[in-house]
Amino acid sequence: MKPWQKNVLYIVVIYFILLLGPIAGLDIPRIIQDIVQSPSLLFTQILVGLINGAIIAIIALGYTLVYGIIELINFAHGDLYMLGGFAALTVMGMFGMEDGAPLGTAILPMLVALLVSAGMCAGLNVVTERYAYRPLRNAPRLAPLISAIGVSFIFQNLGLFWGGLRSFIPIMGNTAAAPKSFPDLLPRTDIFQALGIETKIDFTVKDLTVLVVAVGLMVGLNLFVQRTPAGKAMRAVAQNREAAKIVGINVDQIIVLTFLIGGALAGAAGLLVGLYNNTIVFTMGFTAGLRAFTAAVLGGIGNITGAMLGGVLIGLLSALSDQYLSSRWTDAWVFGVLVLILVFRPSGLLGENLQEKV
Amino acid sequence: MQNVLKALRANLILGGVAAFTVLLFGGWSGSMIGWLLGTAVGYLDTHEQSIPHPKVGLRIGAINGFALGLWVAAASLVEGLILRPLSGQAIVPLPQDLLHAVVGLAVTTVAAALMGAMQGLPRRRSKLAHQTTHGSLSRRQGTLLILAAILLFFPFADRMAQTGWIATVIQVLIFAMLALGLNIPVGYAGLLDLGYAAFFAIGAYTTGMLSSPHLGIEWNFWLVIWIAAAVAAVAGLILGSPTLPLRGDYLAIVTLGFGEIVPIVFRNLTEIRIVEPISSLFATLLNRPELAICLVGCEQPFNLTNGETGINPIGRPWLPFIGSFSSTNYLPWYYLVLLLVIFSMFMINRLRNSRLGRAWTAIREDELAASSMGINRVNVKLLAFAMGATFSGFAGAFYASYITAIFPSVFDFSVSVIILCMVILGGLGNMIGVLLGCVIIMSADRLYLPQFAQVLKGFLNTTVLPNIANPALRDFLAISVDPIQMRLFLFGLVLVVMMIVRPEGLVPNSRRRAELHSEDVVANESLADVRSVG
Repeated sequence: MKPWQKNVLYIVVIYFILLLGPIAGLDIPRIIQDIVQSPSLLFTQILVGLINGAIIAIIALGYTLVYGIIELINFAHGDLYMLGGFAALTVMGMFGMEDGAPLGTAILPMLVALLVSAGMCAGLNVVTERYAYRPLRNAPRLAPLISAIGVSFIFQNLGLFWGGLRSFIPIMGNTAAAPKSFPDLLPRTDIFQALGIETKIDFTVKDLTVLVVAVGLMVGLNLFVQRTPAGKAMRAVAQNREAAKIVGINVDQIIVLTFLIGGALAGAAGLLVGLYNNTIVFTMGFTAGLRAFTAAVLGGIGNITGAMLGGVLIGLLSALSDQYLSSRWTDAWVFGVLVLILVFRPSGLLGENLQEKV
Repeated sequence: MQNVLKALRANLILGGVAAFTVLLFGGWSGSMIGWLLGTAVGYLDTHEQSIPHPKVGLRIGAINGFALGLWVAAASLVEGLILRPLSGQAIVPLPQDLLHAVVGLAVTTVAAALMGAMQGLPRRRSKLAHQTTHGSLSRRQGTLLILAAILLFFPFADRMAQTGWIATVIQVLIFAMLALGLNIPVGYAGLLDLGYAAFFAIGAYTTGMLSSPHLGIEWNFWLVIWIAAAVAAVAGLILGSPTLPLRGDYLAIVTLGFGEIVPIVFRNLTEIRIVEPISSLFATLLNRPELAICLVGCEQPFNLTNGETGINPIGRPWLPFIGSFSSTNYLPWYYLVLLLVIFSMFMINRLRNSRLGRAWTAIREDELAASSMGINRVNVKLLAFAMGATFSGFAGAFYASYITAIFPSVFDFSVSVIILCMVILGGLGNMIGVLLGCVIIMSADRLYLPQFAQVLKGFLNTTVLPNIANPALRDFLAISVDPIQMRLFLFGLVLVVMMIVRPEGLVPNSRRRAELHSEDVVANESLADVRSVG
């Protein structure tokens, strides 16, 4: 294609986007007007996007860690995170937590919930790896994928079953499939107001807590992978499994470790999302998993920094789309942007261009 | 007697399936399942051996069929005498039960014997056929004849046996068409497509828009089905084109993205108003709104797809003598979809053996090598998507017209995943395997599970619950023991177990089987050596 042809093509594409965009909410004059009218709303949405993006990024890390090591799209990961949310809710129920319980009494249950949900998810993930993925390590490439889809269905159903345990866990409410309300424990005190700064942006302690925990987990993971011997071994296995075996790395152990870390992150994300959105439902794993997986691919699957970047981007994009485009079209916009980015960068934003093996 | 015992052991799985079916459905279902599985047994137990004479095949088939029939008969008696009273269903008199059991046994034996006998026919028609005693059929023709008879008479047998399976069978056949279509990109060309339901949706919505009073266009079904297939094919080209530079899992996620986008688009195309952008820019700058040129939906926004409510009603096919197909009479629908499936199988088979089909295999095995051999990988990949989409266009058109209403929620990700599971479970790239996977998944999901739920519910309500004192436990059992709620769990479990037991699918592609068995490869290599030396 000659340069001028390319330019004409771009102009045609832009014209069609302008022509058809308004159907899906891309009405640029209105958007500009909205932003000019209340800029603080824009900042609020960016904040919401950042927090949701951080949670998505934590889930995306689970996808990308596993993919980096055994090249498997672990479809069950999103549902694992959902189960983490249910475990956290169960712990809250056992401590008798209710909306607006004082922070002093709520700290212990939250810590226990973090431990329980992270531990349970890590354990489940390891068990899954042992019985559903390991036997298929040398099978045709699609077999583990189907197995992962199967595990995802099993987890989703477990969530439904768990939600129906009203006779034993009263906090689950009456209907199994209905969304469960998660106790609202983090205070909604506005930080800027408390500090005496006059702004129109809502930035509450709740936001800060979730953001700090999420960022802390990501930084911790990055340090672990980059600085510790086990992290080094993980990177080695990801790079070349055979060679890693030759230099004496126990590959099976490293894979188990990867699943353990990914599961723990998913469990933590389950608690965080419960605390932040105050509602969990057994299907949320699927939607969140899809977003997180998209985030991982967007950043370049197998790349840890890429997963974080992708997660934040997707969170921002969906928050802004909810506000300025049209919330009904948000998913379409997210996937549309994904397709667009992959067309121009076929291995994701930060993914290295794989050399074709000959 | 010993032969029968041996046959009982050999047909353990099919026997279990047959017995389970009878336990669930009861009545004359024993004869139905005996007929179907008996034929399968007759084929399975003889087709790998060379049977010298139909009589030998007849005997082997009859023994194995009898063994299977014993399962059916035993299950029939257990169902009638024990399970029915326990699950609170109407009790059938004893002679009736015995009749069910005996007829089931007989039908199974005869079906298996017939199929076995067909396997004893000569492999191909000999030139002396008219002189031999056993007719002029070849083994293949005989087998096909029996299959054709089963497919043709199934609705009548179903009506006679009062099993009412035909509605499910139509659904199975719709999904068979989809699975066969998906098998082209995934199985033949090796392009993992996670958003195949998008094309199904496009086919269905095309039909819905062109043959429903919603938009005021009511064209004939026989025309619309071709348009739907063509639109789906074009959509395959369009949605396939951005995936060309991508490989592996990146390709999968882009197809998944399209699979998500398409239903959202159909869900939300309810208020369309298109204004030409340049003129509207001038209108804003000059502050004269009348300058903006409005193209679509000027007076009131245009409602194309009717959102979540969907398009309803959709026109049905019409034929002379039969008239318009009705929703109460399944026969015409059954034969129509059967015809479509057979047509698809024929077309796909021809495609597979064509130059294009071989090119698909080549890019699946090694894209780089294929393109350096002169295969245009852009065209070949796009055609794989387009061809796969075509068949889902047919399926979508039939589906829309059969259900007479379409909603965007029917075409979500889980449909794509289920179709993909059928393809992989059955055996990638193998048409028979794909059909088998489809039959297993669909019948388990749509036929066995609802019935199992009903029987279990009856069993709980009449036998278990009244005897439980603890109210919490009773409450728990009453709401949690529901197979419909456990549908995903069972499905997932089956997927995992099947993958671990047979990772290459139930009926692996012969080519892939060759790859997995190293001796064959070695043999081929030594053959190649000989050739190069010679």
